Amino acid sequence: MLPARQPEEEEEVAAAPAVPYTYCSRPRALPARPKYRAAPAAAELEKEPVRYANLMYDRRVVRGNTYALQVLPVVCFYPSPLEIQRQREARKRALARKRTKEQMQPRTPEPVEGREHVHVQTELYLEEISDRIIEVDTECQTDAFLDRPPTPFFIPAKTGKDVATQIEEGELFDFDVEVKPILEVLIGKTVEQALLEVMEEEELAQLWAHQRAYAELRNAELAEVQRLEEQDRRYREEKERRKLQHMQMLQKQKETTEKIAARAFAQHYLADLIPSVFNNLRESGFFYDPIERDIETEFLPWLMTEVEETLERKVLGRTMLDSLIRTVVEKRLDAFSHKPLSYQTEAPAEESRPTDAAHQVAGETDAADQPVAEKEETDQPVPEEQPSRHISFQLEESDQAGTEDLETE
Amino acid sequence: MAHARISANLPPDIDPTKAPIAFGKRALPKLNEELRSPELLTQQRALMALCDLVHDPENVYQAIGVGFLDNLKTLLLHHDSTVRQKTTEILYIMAMHNVGRQGLIQSGMISALTELLDDPIDICRKNTHQIFEMMAKLHEGAVGILHAGLIPLLVFKLKTELDEIQELILDTLSNCLRVEASEALATGAITILKEKLKHSSAAIRSKAAWVLLEIGTHPEGKSMVCEEVIPVLVSLLEDTDPEVQASATGALMFATIKPQGRFSALGAEAIPPLLKLVAEETSKARLSAIKTLTMLAELPEGRKTLLDHTDTFQQCLNDPCEAVKRAAKIAISVIKWKP
Repeated sequence: MLPARQPEEEEEVAAAPAVPYTYCSRPRALPARPKYRAAPAAAELEKEPVRYANLMYDRRVVRGNTYALQVLPVVCFYPSPLEIQRQREARKRALARKRTKEQMQPRTPEPVEGREHVHVQTELYLEEISDRIIEVDTECQTDAFLDRPPTPFFIPAKTGKDVATQIEEGELFDFDVEVKPILEVLIGKTVEQALLEVMEEEELAQLWAHQRAYAELRNAELAEVQRLEEQDRRYREEKERRKLQHMQMLQKQKETTEKIAARAFAQHYLADLIPSVFNNLRESGFFYDPIERDIETEFLPWLMTEVEETLERKVLGRTMLDSLIRTVVEKRLDAFSHKPLSYQTEAPAEESRPTDAAHQVAGETDAADQPVAEKEETDQPVPEEQPSRHISFQLEESDQAGTEDLETE
Repeated sequence: MAHARISANLPPDIDPTKAPIAFGKRALPKLNEELRSPELLTQQRALMALCDLVHDPENVYQAIGVGFLDNLKTLLLHHDSTVRQKTTEILYIMAMHNVGRQGLIQSGMISALTELLDDPIDICRKNTHQIFEMMAKLHEGAVGILHAGLIPLLVFKLKTELDEIQELILDTLSNCLRVEASEALATGAITILKEKLKHSSAAIRSKAAWVLLEIGTHPEGKSMVCEEVIPVLVSLLEDTDPEVQASATGALMFATIKPQGRFSALGAEAIPPLLKLVAEETSKARLSAIKTLTMLAELPEGRKTLLDHTDTFQQCLNDPCEAVKRAAKIAISVIKWKP
């Protein structure tokens, strides 16, 4: 029951339920007891799998009845005299027990021929059997574990004869001959390696040169591309500028033609502007002869007013006359009303009335026509009008008859 | 227990600085594990062994498959200089193979390598720049470098680094700027490159001119190049080294695409040296010179001058190279064009 093994027990009794039962030392399976001690400097890391020996064949298990004390079984090769004595005693005891057991049997076997049973008293040899066996406590302590001593060198016994030999120079091999192939290989390999390296360097240099040439080509192409791009850009800009210029030029041209056309049209339009303007002005009376004007504005109105007055006087006279005639006629009518022949005098009075009325109308319209006649006279300036007025009146009367309709409208 | 060692003396052909390599397929995974070990010596030995193994392209492929790149990324920032140096060397050898380059891009190694640009050890920096140069040759690599914002850093480094590293930086820049040039222009790369054009080393001059060429392929780059650099480039046309002449001619070719570039080139009297370059039969710069003269011929003054020299172009028509013949034909047609 090595106390060091305690922690391992718990794993092995893992299946046991948690019972409130405590062991002083828990039951566990014991590994096999090794025959030899382990070497002191053994690899602790190398743990072999634990071998469990059969319980039945384990020397540490107590055999027999457990209600009597047991003596440790003898293990050592050289038992001490004490132990020898003990063994002897144990043997004796065993024998004694066996004998008593024989005697206990009901029948002893018949003596063999030639022998006879004799009763023997074994008082002398008897020992007191007491419950308690005299026992003496002895301690035994083995020495500290000693290492297994190393096996001594096995030096076999010397047999045979001693013989010596000596290799002289030149007997094994001829150095110069033998060394040739080795040298060849060595030098060959070295030279080959060197050649390889040189070739590799050359290849590298060629690769670099190739790369460089390619880079140059690429750069040249790139430069060409960029140059063409630049060119293209310049051309395009130039084109744009020229187009712009051309557009501007065209526009200017257009404007110029329009201007010319407008100018021509305006000239043409205004060509007879001045004559027509002058005509209009002249017609509207801006250019006037001051004397004529003067005559017209002052003289003629005075003349007309005088004529009007004269005519009015005439008309007055006529109306007076008419009224006189009328009163006369009326009086006569009244006078003749008493007579049936009165209607004959009325008929000529009635005829004279319409003719007077027509005369009156003609007289009134004459006065109104004067200003119109003045206008017509502007084109034909007639300096002396007063004397010929009477004639013109008569002339105009006939005209008036034709234009009456228009004017009454 | 028996040990593998038979005797206390190591066999004569084992290198104690290298980790022993397991057999066959197990070699790389085992080295991978050793790289992660906390012990410095193990890491260094594993790195040395890996460095030898990685020269074989199959091992590169397997290494990427096993997942070396993440370990190497962490090791880049190790405090020990040997570790860093070996790691960068391994990455450089891996970058020489296409598989390696792809793997490096995918695992984002470029940003991790940015930290190493300021490393105190020269070799580490040199290896880092070599890696960048290799990566820049691939288009995705160049794009990756641009995205990681490395261009301003690299341009800045041009001022301070050693000569051979400057060459590497110039190579990287030329490959990256082919893709996009705006970042570099923003950081004033042109001024720095103008200085480099006058450097004593011919290689640096030619590479600087090459970078200017790549800048000139972009329109904004062209205007900047036109402003400042054309006179210097024209002076380089008469340089003794043919490489320098070739690169300078190429740079001029792109710079003269814009009209103002053409005027400044004419002003700097670029035509006579260019004609000389065209006349030489074996010059590398022939093609570029013909192209540049074509650009200049689009200006009226240029056309006048070149009308006298059309026989040089006629000679070029006999060149074995197809591209040169074509270029000569185009040049002649441009010269003889009447508006």
